[in-house]
Amino acid sequence: MSAPAVDLRRITKQFPGVLANDEVDLTVERGSVHALLGENGAGKTTLMNVLYGLYQPTDGTVVVDGEERTFDSPRDAIDAGIGMIHQHFMLVEPMTVTQNVVLGDEPRKWGGLAVDREAAREAVAELADRYGFDVDPEATVGDLSVGERQRIEILKALYRGADILILDEPTAVLTPQEVEELFDVFDELTEAGKTIIFISHKLREVTAAADEVTVLRDGQNVGTVETSGVDDTELAEMMVGREVLFDTQKSPIEAGSIGLAARGLAVEDDRGVRAVDGVDIEVAEGEVFGIAGVDGNGQSELVEAITGLRTPVEGRVYLGDEEVTHASRRDRIESGMAYVPEDRQARGLVMSYDLTENGLLGSQRAPQFADGGRIRWNDAAAHAESIVEEYDVRPADASATAESLSGGNQQKFIVGREFARDPDAVVASHPTRGVDVGSVEFIHDRLLELREDGAAVLLVSSKLDEVRSLSDRLGVMHDGELVAVVDPAEITEEQLGLLMAGEEPDDVPRASRRNGGER
Amino acid sequence: MNPDRLPGPIAGVMDRLVDASAGERLVVSVAALITAILLGGIVTLVAGVFAECSTPMLGTFCYNPLAVYRYLFLAPLFDSFVLQETLKNSALLLFTGLAVAVSFRAGLFNIGTQGQLVLGALAAALAAVWVGPAAPSGPVGGALIAVVAMVAGAVVGGLYAAIPGALKAYADANEVITTIMLNFVASDVAFFLVSAYFQKPGSGSVETRDVPAAARFGPEIALVMAVALTLLITYLLWGTAFGYDLRTAGIQPDAADYAGVDAKRMVVTSMTLSGMIGGLGGAVWVLMSVGRWVNGVPSLGFDGITVSVLASNNPLGVLFAGPLFGSMQAGSLSIDFQLGVPRQLVGVIRGLVILLVAMPEFFRTLGVRWGMGGGR
Repeated sequence: MSAPAVDLRRITKQFPGVLANDEVDLTVERGSVHALLGENGAGKTTLMNVLYGLYQPTDGTVVVDGEERTFDSPRDAIDAGIGMIHQHFMLVEPMTVTQNVVLGDEPRKWGGLAVDREAAREAVAELADRYGFDVDPEATVGDLSVGERQRIEILKALYRGADILILDEPTAVLTPQEVEELFDVFDELTEAGKTIIFISHKLREVTAAADEVTVLRDGQNVGTVETSGVDDTELAEMMVGREVLFDTQKSPIEAGSIGLAARGLAVEDDRGVRAVDGVDIEVAEGEVFGIAGVDGNGQSELVEAITGLRTPVEGRVYLGDEEVTHASRRDRIESGMAYVPEDRQARGLVMSYDLTENGLLGSQRAPQFADGGRIRWNDAAAHAESIVEEYDVRPADASATAESLSGGNQQKFIVGREFARDPDAVVASHPTRGVDVGSVEFIHDRLLELREDGAAVLLVSSKLDEVRSLSDRLGVMHDGELVAVVDPAEITEEQLGLLMAGEEPDDVPRASRRNGGER
Repeated sequence: MNPDRLPGPIAGVMDRLVDASAGERLVVSVAALITAILLGGIVTLVAGVFAECSTPMLGTFCYNPLAVYRYLFLAPLFDSFVLQETLKNSALLLFTGLAVAVSFRAGLFNIGTQGQLVLGALAAALAAVWVGPAAPSGPVGGALIAVVAMVAGAVVGGLYAAIPGALKAYADANEVITTIMLNFVASDVAFFLVSAYFQKPGSGSVETRDVPAAARFGPEIALVMAVALTLLITYLLWGTAFGYDLRTAGIQPDAADYAGVDAKRMVVTSMTLSGMIGGLGGAVWVLMSVGRWVNGVPSLGFDGITVSVLASNNPLGVLFAGPLFGSMQAGSLSIDFQLGVPRQLVGVIRGLVILLVAMPEFFRTLGVRWGMGGGR
């Protein structure tokens, strides 16, 4: 029996504050298509960068073709027959297909003094022919479609002798038609004995194209299964996982008037693709409205449109009675909207600022901390210290920089800062991501306190238990639409999984629109 | 930029730089200075081999590196002309260095300080000439004219910088390109305006009339103003909500968006502020150095970029980098006519010093921006 093409053993990769991979094992058989499935930040790309020599693992071994290897750089990985196609292509657009493919590895003539263009063209044409790629070696890359460019990237890897191809989210940039074509290419390649590993968070593509799938969650390998014996729902459950269910005490409260609402909201993502399409949400004062869904189904864009970081193309946003669709971030902050952002290191904190400065983020002009534009640093420091103390942020030092904190402590600080605004409306995106178990409970309790104080809370999370235990009503997003609003107490995990996968299960306990916080 | 695409050894050095402690950074800077001096010495010696002179040292070397360095670093101490020049250069470089630092802090590469300074200087000269006859005589009148001239310089410099700011904010035009292009526009527009409308009668060169003598001041006053402005800008950046917004927009634009900073307005505002400081520098050049606007404005704006980088874009650092650069510049003038060492060669040595001292900090800044270091 031949050795597996790739055998990663107990790979651990520690970044400052983040454990990206935690003793991950991964075995990929020769000639198979293996999918790496997981949510954003689950550690998929990190693991592949370790295999490709871009990162050195903190611990663990990389075995390729039965041989233990250490890759100091991608150059070593390429020499060992590994090729990686990144999400963002690295092609020179004004150059031809042939020039791009051979770039840096050109066939030479005249004793290495000149590029042998003829040989290069033949080599590329022969390669394209062998794997059934329909590309013109003389075409200019700038004129090609995205799908064609991807094939040029694959050709580049094959030209360098790759036997194992890693593709990072190859379908993210493709049209459905191009996705089909890519999967045909996969078939051609595996027939020729090549091994393919591709990263994805789209369930359907994984089951369609892969032989085996490994699911990563929070940097850990949750399991490897054959795609023939698994359905989308099971995979969705593996991806989002089950957490220890806390017995959160939630008191029944009166449903107030509407505190936060989106009506007919349509939002485009950075590429101009419609990521949110006609979403209606009404969150009453004193209500937690949860949004569940697999990452990348429009939740981020929805939240950004509501909080004022992205302008919707259609529809309206209301804060209380006031329409705020085109109000600035500043106006929304001053009108009492708190926001725990999804990306804490890019948005929620300024990494090189200390906690005193970070405690001001968003309220740098609030009368509490500034008079007439002059910041009162003493008050700012006291504010940061009170957050640090109340939320048990470690180190308990307001002069520590944000980057010196672990991810969980960074998150606690952001949550503390936002909840301290005494908000009328709270938008919380993954408020407990990366936070230790004890602090999760603390954050949940604070969130429910805000609810009792009459805040309208919109909670987006990929943790099913979190949204189920905290929400009064639970919306499920799939492909940019709010496919159902359900009663979180009655819905089963299986039904939720189906809804998240875009299916339509029977007997879903719908939540009526205005029964708000009556439970 | 993904630092993982950097070649391993370079990434390693940058990681190390990012993680360096303040003490280590000081050691690196001193080591860089010593290296630059050694390298410059070798260059001087070698260049001297090819030069012609009456009494070569050791029969071969025309230029003595020690003498060159004595002038380059210590000339202000024993040469009163160099001292005056040093003070003037230092004051002007404080203004332009500060102008550049403010824009860099906001994440904007304002390469247009030169153009803002040229037009600010012209506005100041014209304002002083225009207001002159109406002002009362004596020191009070002079001060009044000077204030009017400086306000005019700041306003025009600020408005001229607002153009690339607005182009960036509302038309997505890269400010590096537009500011560079607007430098040429500024020089040519100033040249045209002066030669067509404001030419000093009877003068052979393109220049305005002289500003009233009472409005002129010496380098000491210019230095006091520059230092006061540095302290003011430091307070503005670290003591006010505006400064907080500006710095946040420069370090982490996404976090600034999140914090409710209007990114577009911040671009225009910080460019305008940078241009105002540059224009003020132009006014000081007119009132202190030349007494009128004259074609061929020295490259103070470009030198300000060097000063700012040398100071890690820190206003308080500019207080040291400006005079260091200013004294080397003044020193190189006298090296030319005292030692016969060509100015170009002194320029090479000066460049080496700047390059080697500034580069570690420059790469460290880049590394921080790319999120390197910390045992990545």
